[in-house]
Amino acid sequence: LQAAIWQALNHYAYRDAVFLAERLYAEVHSEEALFLLATCYYRSGKAYKAYRLLKGHSCTTPQCKYLLAKCCVDLSKLAEGEQILSGGVLNKQKSHDDIVMEFGDSACFTLSLLGHVYCKTDRLAKGSECYQKSLSLNPFLWSPFESLCEIGEKPDPDQTFKLTSLQNFSSCLPNTCTTLVSNHNISHRQPETVLMETPQDTIELNRINLESSNSKYSSLNTDSSMSYIDSAVISPDTVPLGSGTAILSKQAQNKPKTGRSLLGGPAALSPLTPSFGILPLETPSPGDGSYLQNYTNSSSVIDVPSTGAPSKKKLCVMQTVSRISQAGTKSVFSQSGNSREVTPILVAQTQSSGPQTSTTPQVLSPTIAAPPNALPRRSSRLFTSDSSTTKENSKKLKMKFPPKIPNRKTKSKTNKGGITQPNLNDSLEITKLDSSIISEGKISTVAPQIQAFTLQKAAAEGLMSLLRDMGKGYLALCSYNCKEAINILSHLPSHHYNTGWVLCQIGRAYFELAEYMQAERIFSEVRRIENYRVEGMEIYSTTLWHLQKDVALSVLSKDLTDMDKNSPEAWCAAGNCFSLQREHDIAIKFFQRAIQVDPNYAYAYTLLGHEFVLTEELDKALACFRNAIRVNPRHYNAWYGLGMIYYKQEKFSLAEMHFQKALDINPQSSVLLCHIGVVQHALKKSEKALDTLNKAINIDPKNPLCKFHRASVLFANEKYKSALQELEELKQIVPKESLVYFLIGKVYKKLGQTHLALMNFSWAMDLDPKGANNQIKEAIDKRYLPDDEEPITQEEQIIGTDESQESSMTDADDTQLHAVESDEF
Amino acid sequence: MTTPNKTPPGADPKQLERTGTVREIGSQAVWSLSSCKPGFGVDQLRDDNLETYWQSDGSQPHLVNIQFRRKTTVKTLCIYADYKSDESYTPSKISIRVGNNFHNLQEIRQLELVEPSGWIHVPLTDTHKKPIRTFMIQIAVLANHQNGRDTHMRQIKVYTPVEESSIGKFPRCTTIDFMMYRSIR
Repeated sequence: LQAAIWQALNHYAYRDAVFLAERLYAEVHSEEALFLLATCYYRSGKAYKAYRLLKGHSCTTPQCKYLLAKCCVDLSKLAEGEQILSGGVLNKQKSHDDIVMEFGDSACFTLSLLGHVYCKTDRLAKGSECYQKSLSLNPFLWSPFESLCEIGEKPDPDQTFKLTSLQNFSSCLPNTCTTLVSNHNISHRQPETVLMETPQDTIELNRINLESSNSKYSSLNTDSSMSYIDSAVISPDTVPLGSGTAILSKQAQNKPKTGRSLLGGPAALSPLTPSFGILPLETPSPGDGSYLQNYTNSSSVIDVPSTGAPSKKKLCVMQTVSRISQAGTKSVFSQSGNSREVTPILVAQTQSSGPQTSTTPQVLSPTIAAPPNALPRRSSRLFTSDSSTTKENSKKLKMKFPPKIPNRKTKSKTNKGGITQPNLNDSLEITKLDSSIISEGKISTVAPQIQAFTLQKAAAEGLMSLLRDMGKGYLALCSYNCKEAINILSHLPSHHYNTGWVLCQIGRAYFELAEYMQAERIFSEVRRIENYRVEGMEIYSTTLWHLQKDVALSVLSKDLTDMDKNSPEAWCAAGNCFSLQREHDIAIKFFQRAIQVDPNYAYAYTLLGHEFVLTEELDKALACFRNAIRVNPRHYNAWYGLGMIYYKQEKFSLAEMHFQKALDINPQSSVLLCHIGVVQHALKKSEKALDTLNKAINIDPKNPLCKFHRASVLFANEKYKSALQELEELKQIVPKESLVYFLIGKVYKKLGQTHLALMNFSWAMDLDPKGANNQIKEAIDKRYLPDDEEPITQEEQIIGTDESQESSMTDADDTQLHAVESDEF
Repeated sequence: MTTPNKTPPGADPKQLERTGTVREIGSQAVWSLSSCKPGFGVDQLRDDNLETYWQSDGSQPHLVNIQFRRKTTVKTLCIYADYKSDESYTPSKISIRVGNNFHNLQEIRQLELVEPSGWIHVPLTDTHKKPIRTFMIQIAVLANHQNGRDTHMRQIKVYTPVEESSIGKFPRCTTIDFMMYRSIR
């Protein structure tokens, strides 16, 4: 019955699953059945049902607890979730090690969840600790790393994303054969590891691992749930078997599963690249170094089965069935194939290599050649055999070194199932083969499975290196080291680069650098590639807002709101669209909707705050920005918003403080520096203001406003010559900006060169007829009121007939422009 | 404006809004009427719908009072009147008064309308040609076309000049290049 339920779940037939699970639970009131039922509810999207169900009954098993905690977090009952996981406030808090012990393989996820709870409840230190621990347990998890970056910690991607210890590896890949771990460790990360010294040791280790897995499994009752948690994440098609079938026969599938789960793991976590996905078929000759080289070379080979692939050792983890058929001896398979298919290959290998034979590499080749035929069989077996092995593995994977070295023979004896036995043996043999190949390149009697392990290791290592790069890029972005981030991320292999996530990060980096044109280009690329992606789109909408591309923005917002009405990003885009059209009330409505959809989305609050500022409702704006900061203290836009409000209210020191806080978070924003400069000037700290503005210009020479403000500060300090110089430069950069002429006019006025001043004012008004006529007119008025009659006629001329004057002015302007230029030079 | 020519219709105030130089602030004020027929009151006057209107129901002068919470700068008043649909209900003489409260009102403008057929923009400026700052505005309909007793008014909008949101006491930027760097959003 359990098998049927899991199968239904795997086929997303939730109603069937729920019905059957309910019957099972009614029949057997065991914790396992309870867990199964709760899982069915949770997966079908009804977290509240799972929550109430699990709450109503005591849950002692770790998986029940984990699921209950997850439901609590989803329903925003953070305190409860925390209490379940770690004992809460009243009881003694469990330490992380306790948690690790209790939850075993799912400890990494548990810690990640706990970290999330801590961060949301403002206990960032504890949260980051949890995330670190979770990452150390399972470096394949990206979200703890991401969360760490976002809360401002700087986790080191190199340290995090590596498969260092046996323990780590095994715990994160419950289905992996431990041999893989040992092999991997040895060859890749720590050459100094003792383990790999001799093939013998490796074999022993393998045996140990196998044995431990055996023993652990046998000690397990057929409890599908535990492994399910891990395998569920790792391989979506895991269907845990119910109890019943022979333990050992299932165990035999361990080995095939290991390959699969490993690959399933990375597959679940990130897009697969050839760099780690390609498990090359290698000829047995090369040793360690070449092996490494081989698969790094393979990164250039894309996920095509490849005859073109460099031939490597005869490790053949073939990851896609289709590919296998083409493979022959030189198959390189990208990991993007279903991990499941790896195992069939492994199995194929093991099988075809014959039971108990110490396979030589030559033997392997027929194995490899055989796979296409074997594969269908394997895959079917795989499907049926499902995750019983995964289950077992997960349980076992508390990979501490098992104390005993069991006799391999005993293991093979215990495997009584027909097919299973050869598998086991073969797996051992593969282990041997692997280790030998790895350690020395000796062509020895190594079982095909070792190849598989090495391949898996290679795959994992490839994944790790990818994650490292992406981690570095993401970390740089979160510390607003944007140029660096762009650099790192551009160096990713091109098929990864052209994915939505990477491009969105790069787009965001350009956005933070205020290079809106570039950002827009990248984001439109994202839209082209992945038009179902909403996550980065709010930044895109703001970019379009800055560029004032209303058509593109309205298209974007329409598309997003049509696609996903429950995402805050879509409503933010819609709000931005209306804000650009200056329909602020509607924009406010949409931003409020975004907040309703997701109250934990900081950017919606920020945008709402900006709208309130535009409608002059400063109190509401203050409240909004404060909300944004409450949700995400590193949201520097909100700090900026607060600073702006205080500036408007002329509370300059408060404004400066807030801008400074924003700057601390994002030190490379020239716009921020510019604002700080202006505020400092308002506070009469003109020297500092000039310094700040100089810094801003150094960071981003393309920012015309910085120059403009520098000119205005110089003007205020009566350094007219330098101000003029600045403004002239600015005129070259942005010739159509009326403000520039306005300021030049003011400078000339101060310098007493009235006709130049007048000319510039007229140009300014020309460029901005509707805009700030008042100010410009005032400037002219003030100039002329105390003066004699002669200029007055000019004044009347200018002020009286704006429209008619414009045309004549443009002609006059042209001639005068030449005149001015000749004057100045 | 005592010419026999008809009052030309002004531009749609939405255009004004789109320039970003003004903002409609009627929502920040309390509106009241001297009298109205049931179903034809303030809501119909402020509903952005030119089909619905306010119909007064008392003696002249009919008053529309707009009271702000704080002293606000008002740049323009826009009134929609249409002789073709309202005929004798169309206002012909409108007086605009501002002040701090009901007892403190002072007339600043008087308009004569001759068969208007659209929006009428009334710039409100003080003696120095700047937009007025006031707590209260009263629009008084002193006379209607064809000496009608009651009046219809279809829509009224109040505009305030937009403050510069950028730093510094400068007028607005005109180019996108400047505007891009003006703020962080």
